[in-house]
Amino acid sequence: MAQRIEVFTLLEDGRAKTYQSRFEKLGIKASIRVVDVYTIEDDIADPANLNECISSLTNPVSQKSFVLDGSNTTPDGYVDTLGSFDHALEVGFLPGVTDNIGHTASELTALSLNEIRTVYASQMLLINGQLSERNISDLKDDLHNSLIQRADHKDAKAYQNDNGMGITIPKVQLSNSGVAADEVDLDISDDELAEIGKSGIENQDGSLRGPLGMSLLYMKAVQDYFKAEGRKPTDIEIETLAQTWSEHCKHTIFASPIDEIKNGLFKHYIKGATEEIRKAKGKDDICVSVFWDDSGVIAFDDDWLITDKMETHNSPSALDPFGGAITGIVGVNRDCIGTGLGAKPIINRYGFCLADPRSNIEYYRGKGKANPTLSSETVMRGVVAGVESGGNQSGIPSPQGFLYFDDRYIGKPLVFAGTVGLMPREVAGKPSHLKGAEKGDRILMIGGKVGRDGIHGATFSSVALDEGSPATAVQIGDPITQKKFSDAIIKEIRDLGLYKAMTDNGAGGLSSSVGEMAESSGGFHVELEKVPLKYPGMSPWEIWISESQERMTLAVPPENVQTIMDMLAKRGVEAWDIGEFTDTGRAHITWHGDTIMDMDMDFLHDGLPETPLTTTFTRGGEPEPDLKEPDDYRETFLNMLSRLNICSKEFVACQYDHNVQGTAVLGPLQGQGRVYADASVSKPLLDNPRAVVLSQGLFPRYSDIDTHHMGQAALDMAVRSAVAAGGDINHLALMDNICWCSSDEPERLGQLKRAISGIYHLAKTYGTPFISGKDSMFNDFKGYDENDNPVKISVPPTLLISALGVIQNVDQAVSLDPKMPGDKVYLLGTTKDECGASEYYALRGALGNNVPETDNDLNMNLYRVMSEANKKHLITSTLPVSYGGIGIALAKKAIAGQLGLNISYDIGLRMDKTLFSESTGRVVVTIAPQDQMEFEKLFADHALLIGEVTDSDLLKINDIETNISDLEEAYKKPLRGY
Amino acid sequence: MSAKALVIAGYGLNCEEETAHAFEHVGLSAEIRHINDLAENPKELENTQVLCIPGGFSYGDDTGSGNAFAQKMRLTLGDHLKKFVEQDTLTIGICNGCQIVANLGLAPALDHKYGERMVAVTHNLTARYQCRWVDVAVQNTNSPWLQGIQTLHIPVAHGEGRFMMGEDTLKTLQDVKQIALRYVKPDGTSAKGEYPYNPNGSTDDIAGITDPSGRVLTLMPHPERGMFNWQRDDYARLKDKARRAGQALPERADGLALFENAATYFEIAKRKSA
Repeated sequence: MAQRIEVFTLLEDGRAKTYQSRFEKLGIKASIRVVDVYTIEDDIADPANLNECISSLTNPVSQKSFVLDGSNTTPDGYVDTLGSFDHALEVGFLPGVTDNIGHTASELTALSLNEIRTVYASQMLLINGQLSERNISDLKDDLHNSLIQRADHKDAKAYQNDNGMGITIPKVQLSNSGVAADEVDLDISDDELAEIGKSGIENQDGSLRGPLGMSLLYMKAVQDYFKAEGRKPTDIEIETLAQTWSEHCKHTIFASPIDEIKNGLFKHYIKGATEEIRKAKGKDDICVSVFWDDSGVIAFDDDWLITDKMETHNSPSALDPFGGAITGIVGVNRDCIGTGLGAKPIINRYGFCLADPRSNIEYYRGKGKANPTLSSETVMRGVVAGVESGGNQSGIPSPQGFLYFDDRYIGKPLVFAGTVGLMPREVAGKPSHLKGAEKGDRILMIGGKVGRDGIHGATFSSVALDEGSPATAVQIGDPITQKKFSDAIIKEIRDLGLYKAMTDNGAGGLSSSVGEMAESSGGFHVELEKVPLKYPGMSPWEIWISESQERMTLAVPPENVQTIMDMLAKRGVEAWDIGEFTDTGRAHITWHGDTIMDMDMDFLHDGLPETPLTTTFTRGGEPEPDLKEPDDYRETFLNMLSRLNICSKEFVACQYDHNVQGTAVLGPLQGQGRVYADASVSKPLLDNPRAVVLSQGLFPRYSDIDTHHMGQAALDMAVRSAVAAGGDINHLALMDNICWCSSDEPERLGQLKRAISGIYHLAKTYGTPFISGKDSMFNDFKGYDENDNPVKISVPPTLLISALGVIQNVDQAVSLDPKMPGDKVYLLGTTKDECGASEYYALRGALGNNVPETDNDLNMNLYRVMSEANKKHLITSTLPVSYGGIGIALAKKAIAGQLGLNISYDIGLRMDKTLFSESTGRVVVTIAPQDQMEFEKLFADHALLIGEVTDSDLLKINDIETNISDLEEAYKKPLRGY
Repeated sequence: MSAKALVIAGYGLNCEEETAHAFEHVGLSAEIRHINDLAENPKELENTQVLCIPGGFSYGDDTGSGNAFAQKMRLTLGDHLKKFVEQDTLTIGICNGCQIVANLGLAPALDHKYGERMVAVTHNLTARYQCRWVDVAVQNTNSPWLQGIQTLHIPVAHGEGRFMMGEDTLKTLQDVKQIALRYVKPDGTSAKGEYPYNPNGSTDDIAGITDPSGRVLTLMPHPERGMFNWQRDDYARLKDKARRAGQALPERADGLALFENAATYFEIAKRKSA
């Protein structure tokens, strides 16, 4: 029999207040109480033990608890504490979904009773207020995600009649029958082959196992291989090939020949740029390990290396924003841990491309208003909370990120998550950035057990989201389990030299991690029944490709296995020896002694057929619009500042712990006016003066005109922001994250090729190598609108460039806020008539044609000079000009410094274009008068004196005057309430 | 021989390294100890002078922040903890450590009732995680940790930092002067519960309390994140001001004072100057 412990909070509860204000937004006035519920699967009979368990879950100062057993009797005092209410609404997890609170409660029972009990957590809201049926349904939608959670409602009468909410036990029930590997007959027609590739292998009952994401070409290669082997493949073999050959894992679009570029976009442009830059830099090369490992690695100083990696987690976030984002951030943390012999995660990056959270556009995945997409507000709230939870709980500061808005992200939001790491150059006498499994090494899986979560995550991310998108692709992270093994490995085990290689279990699960690690030894043998499961009944193929979170795979010489296991056990971390790395050239798996997979390693990794790609390109855009010049510039300023891509994102910055580890120097909010910054500076070692600078750039809307300029603007912005914050152009590396759409269309591929060739040329001019990257090629939504018309919504081709730089001394960091009245204001760089696809044209409802074009050589010269000026501490504040042009840059500076600016700037261009043109390569700086001569000498033609910092409360540009407090309100208001 | 500071780690605590650095910086010998290792050898507390439970997210704040870790310490260390605080030692709980110390009942321990939970440190009134710089003022206190300090400009970073208690407990705390730190406005006047000066809605603007002896201090803000000027939110301004005046900006900032006081308490001569 089960027991239900209800914990009532008796003092004022901040959570309840927040629910109330959230409900008010839905038009529901109600007062709320929050009851925490713990359901114990097998009851604790002994009253003393039960009391001990209850007290471990209850704070006696603020809470009171009751045990209900589902019978007709209620405990003493329960009715009084319950009090009066109109409705009860309970949200709990569905079976098999990661339940971290329940997990901790289970551990508490183990501590207090010396025996572990399964505990499930849920939360009940007691609502006082009159609710209509519609209200209740709205509340349920707001409070839970039906893919992973249940929401149960009872009105007061039903609650009374049923004697409470009732006991729900979300236990996974899987039958044990048929738990074996099945043979699959591929001796079938091309049509049938194509169907398996698209929809998946058929179960015996006729249901499908979910998309393999394999084209007919790939399926035929599989067919040929097994014909030659003279046998039928097993399901696990086909599933493994689908994972390994997926766009997600093999980046096939970047690897394929494309037009005249026979070695593909990645080798030719991205890797090509890096190779050419490294050669040109010679002994000043900063790269240490690029592209092949879990992160890119560059030099920090003579003793330390710094690593960086940026991931995307788009598809899961569309289905479950919280789960998608939290697994995104803790997943990329593992990429950091799995770099070389192990890097310590020191900084998180985040980025969200979203639809306007205030818009209420309805879309459906199915016809007839079936399967609605989540609202844009739900998506934003979820992804913001996911990174908050994952980042904060992991003790990794998250100072660096962005939110970008365009309504084309409605069906598929983009969620970027990155992690910077630090590791000594040498670990146990060996270079830390090298690793490799060798023959005879044991395969150790550590961390969590395996469940059905995340099946087909890798193949799913390679297709457009539609009605058939699998719910099993959704997972929830458990940051504390991961923190335990992260600390154990990075802070204790790594430096003992006990393992030879380590990698993360991410997309594709064990099939990817073991498969990749075995490339260095030349084969593997896994005894799959040794992989521990969360619940019985999983098929071998599911175990092998499951993406259950919080797992790493290690290659450990047999003599060290016990030592590592003992050390991990002392830290509460589980580990399992599941097989051996071999040199047999075979990928070999047994299941209780029977061989269920036996494939050639070369076929597994290199058997996928080449798919040559061809492209076309048509420049987009419209004729330059004929707009009336604004009558009231003051109003235009306020409207521009309130645009979502310009306004403050303080609500995110304050929720993300940005100074844990004690390393924050320049944070996400700068100046007394707290302006959200484009770059951040951290000092990773408390007793080492060196610092790192992080930044990023993206201009997705420019893709509507020309992706070449979109890509160059993104790269230029990333580099410019890093240099502006105190960086050195000579010690700066880049990462590319490409989130494209419809990448099976020649026109989209043409846009891609132009963007990539653009950043190749600019990176070479700047001498800033790419060190890591990630692509996600099918960010399209297919479904129906509110009138049941079929729609396809593609994200604007989005190229995010992130920069990582090293600053010699932390005192070179430059913040964005002006410091003193009397300081001189300069514009570095040139303003041109370039409002195409700008925020200003968007405000005016136009697209235009004059997209900003980047002057590669001129900018490079400027950034060299700025790097020099940083070392001389000549600049007291900088702000790169970005969305909204110089007008917005000046407004942000005035807000940040809470100081006036007196500016005169006229270049003979109409004033609205002058103020809001988004020409790249520009920075607004302020200089102390004492440094003016030296500054002007150094910057020469790059710098134009445009005004002075004043102690007034006015931003004055020519004859346009605006009050700083008005600007500040316009800047801070739009997203304040989230 | 210098005094030994033991900084606890494990199960999601995450500020142990920078906090240990703070103790080392002022001349104590600091050791990071995983709770499981201390549980195996609780006698180590007998040759420890300073016990620090640092910030973090033990057990992910599940079942109430600090609750599960406090249970673990209570069940595995038992009387060793009580014995430790009753001797001439110093104990500090910071942020998650503050929540753990409160749940362990090591503070306020009114009437020397060590082990009894008397205050709750619970969900912020905004129900949002708050990472921001605050100003706190040292109250009339006997705490060795806070001697000679008037105000501190240091950050908070927590989702559950709101001190709550019964009215009787509050009155007693006020009467016996065990409220050690209160949130104030930048000009030093009372925050009067006003957000964001009081970032979590804490009762009576309480940011930290002590036990009756003052040797146990538990506080929500992070002194170790505000011990050097380059960590401060106004670093760029301070640096710029110093440069214009032709001066070098000293490295030392407010937060270091607590750790220096710990060193002074154990008469460590070898105090490093910043």
